[in-house]
Amino acid sequence: MAMKSWMYSVLEAVQHEMQEDPAMTWIFELTPPVASNPGRPVINLETEFGRKRVVNTGIDENWMASAVLGAGLAGSKSATYIPYQGACMPFEVIQNVAGKLRSMTGGKASMPVVWIIEMTGQTPGFGGQHSCYEEDSYYMHIPGVRTVIPSTPYDAKGLMHAAIRSPDPVVYLYPAGLRTLTEDVPDEAYEVPLDKAAVRIEGSDLTIVSSGAGMPVALEAAETLAGEGASVEVIDLRVLKEMDTETIVNSVAKTKRLLTVDQSYYTLCPGAEVIARAVENVDGVKVKRVAFPDAPPPASPEMFLWMRPGPQQVVEAARAIL
Amino acid sequence: MEHDRTIPQWETEDTPVSPARRGFLMLAAASGAAISVGRSAAAFTDVPFAAADLDDDSLIGMYRTILQIRWHERRQADEMLSNPDYRGYNHFYAGQEAVATGVCAALRNSGPREQLDLVYSSHRPSGHAIAKGVDIPKMVAEMDFRATGMNGGYGAEMHISDPDVGFIGADGMIGPAPVIASGSAFAFRARGSDQVAVVFAGDGNYAAPHFHSTLNNAKLLDLPLIYVCENNLYHQYAHYSLSCPHEDIASAAAAYGITAETVDGQDVVQVYNAAKRAVDRARAGNGPTFIEAKTYRYYNHWGAPGAKVGELGAFGYDPLAITHFRPEKELRAWMQRDPVDISRRILADWGVMDAARAAEIEDEVKAEIEAAFEWALSQPLCTPEDGLRHVFAEGTVPARQFG
Repeated sequence: MAMKSWMYSVLEAVQHEMQEDPAMTWIFELTPPVASNPGRPVINLETEFGRKRVVNTGIDENWMASAVLGAGLAGSKSATYIPYQGACMPFEVIQNVAGKLRSMTGGKASMPVVWIIEMTGQTPGFGGQHSCYEEDSYYMHIPGVRTVIPSTPYDAKGLMHAAIRSPDPVVYLYPAGLRTLTEDVPDEAYEVPLDKAAVRIEGSDLTIVSSGAGMPVALEAAETLAGEGASVEVIDLRVLKEMDTETIVNSVAKTKRLLTVDQSYYTLCPGAEVIARAVENVDGVKVKRVAFPDAPPPASPEMFLWMRPGPQQVVEAARAIL
Repeated sequence: MEHDRTIPQWETEDTPVSPARRGFLMLAAASGAAISVGRSAAAFTDVPFAAADLDDDSLIGMYRTILQIRWHERRQADEMLSNPDYRGYNHFYAGQEAVATGVCAALRNSGPREQLDLVYSSHRPSGHAIAKGVDIPKMVAEMDFRATGMNGGYGAEMHISDPDVGFIGADGMIGPAPVIASGSAFAFRARGSDQVAVVFAGDGNYAAPHFHSTLNNAKLLDLPLIYVCENNLYHQYAHYSLSCPHEDIASAAAAYGITAETVDGQDVVQVYNAAKRAVDRARAGNGPTFIEAKTYRYYNHWGAPGAKVGELGAFGYDPLAITHFRPEKELRAWMQRDPVDISRRILADWGVMDAARAAEIEDEVKAEIEAAFEWALSQPLCTPEDGLRHVFAEGTVPARQFG
């Protein structure tokens, strides 16, 4: 156990799995699979496992995504790190091949593969294309592909172990804005399940549900509301496909108030699905949905920061239903 | 410059050479102007036509454009290093100026929109934009997120665009722009226009599947497309040999049956000549051309505010370049072939301008850029609520961030 950064925690999991399985491969593009952490050995997958198993390509996310699928179909575990610049370029192969292949082959396809898909949207000024927090909505819509979105270094490591070991293809969303988080993370391998949300704070008046980059916002808002005397329960979805309906419903049955917080666009944001599942199962729920407007993120920090949901907007939305 | 062996020989005897220019050069040589005969002769041999036929104003215009690009970046870098309030960033183009300048000088950059040649740029766009003729003060304002910037503060550096001069704009992604440019070329051909579409793409674009799609369709349909591959050796931090098995990317283009050539991207005259041939070919309905310009960027992949002189080389070495970064000697060697110096020398050799006039022009450009920054940085910031505009042609979308 030691304080570890996000990427160190993730690469520790990958390193472990690659040591265990000499067939496993890793494909990267512009981001070398290197992480360092105070007091720990540097992890460098490229030098440790060599350039037969760990390769970088040109800027070709289509190849990266397709190649790991092909490696999986050939019987090798494989993972790739697709940076935010091209996070939807592999969409076709994930949506129309991987997502449907188990079904189309009558269960015969082997797909122990992971696509780590980086998301950005935390940096004012980056402009439309380099702000892509909406990808959660796109990928969570695909049947046959598990989609996870950790929000802590602990979960990042545990979900990576689980994703690599899963027989199903996994889209592993990585909100890059969380890269600065550190926490105590065990050295040994462990799994965080691919189908369970986490209750981060328990409460009885209001349920706030968020995920990924929305989590720091939700937690900060909950702290403010707690200071005002509200008992707020905060749920971190962690898994978008398959979404953990039970944890949501149990919480909302208790609080009867639900506020969802997303950095994704309003239409079909993860919160929309959360609300649908809650009201399908619990009567008399008051709901609110905070999300990015259905507009491309403008470059201007003045416009962008006003549009991006922050703790203050969440607090005000919560007050309206408390 | 040695041509790639895949390049067809040019029929220079068919090319009219301006008597005025030829006469001028002969006169300059005969009068023993303050230039070496050897260099003069070499320059003349290298440039059998095209640029040598341009009038003095056009040649000086190219020199001026190169300086505008260079000084815009120098001025912007100063801003990043010294002004804590400055927020703009840039993917610097310094070192590559001759490429954008030489290509755009061969294009139709003003007039009715339906006659303009179109330029698709990359994520390293400010040089292309300036060469195509955008309003520099408005571009500077856009790059600092001002409401009166070229795109109202919505786009910033990676998305600058001005269709009024045929600058379709920057693209922050690697891959799509060349294919989209081929679509514009397709439209020109379909409507019988003599316009051409030009795309600037880096060596990194070679590895994207879009490269194949672009060249294959451009050749199949004989599109008036000019693919300018700016091979500055590095995509972000990785050398192009990691993504391309060819020494000359142009040789890959030749495999599609497309006329392809490599040029010295530091020499604006060579770039112009290649572009002129390509434009003439496209306008005549003879299809696409691929030009690989060998060039180099002086600064790192990108520059952002908050840099400090002497730290991280202040845009030199980058902390993200963990496994691949550029040797200092390589950078210094390329700086010996600076496009500003080369263009200045050629114009001096040709007797188009003397050293005093060259310095005068540089002072004019510096003043112009200074005025652009002064104007731009005094412009108003954006209104937050305007972020809900320009989603569709009319109206606004609802705010959703308040629940």
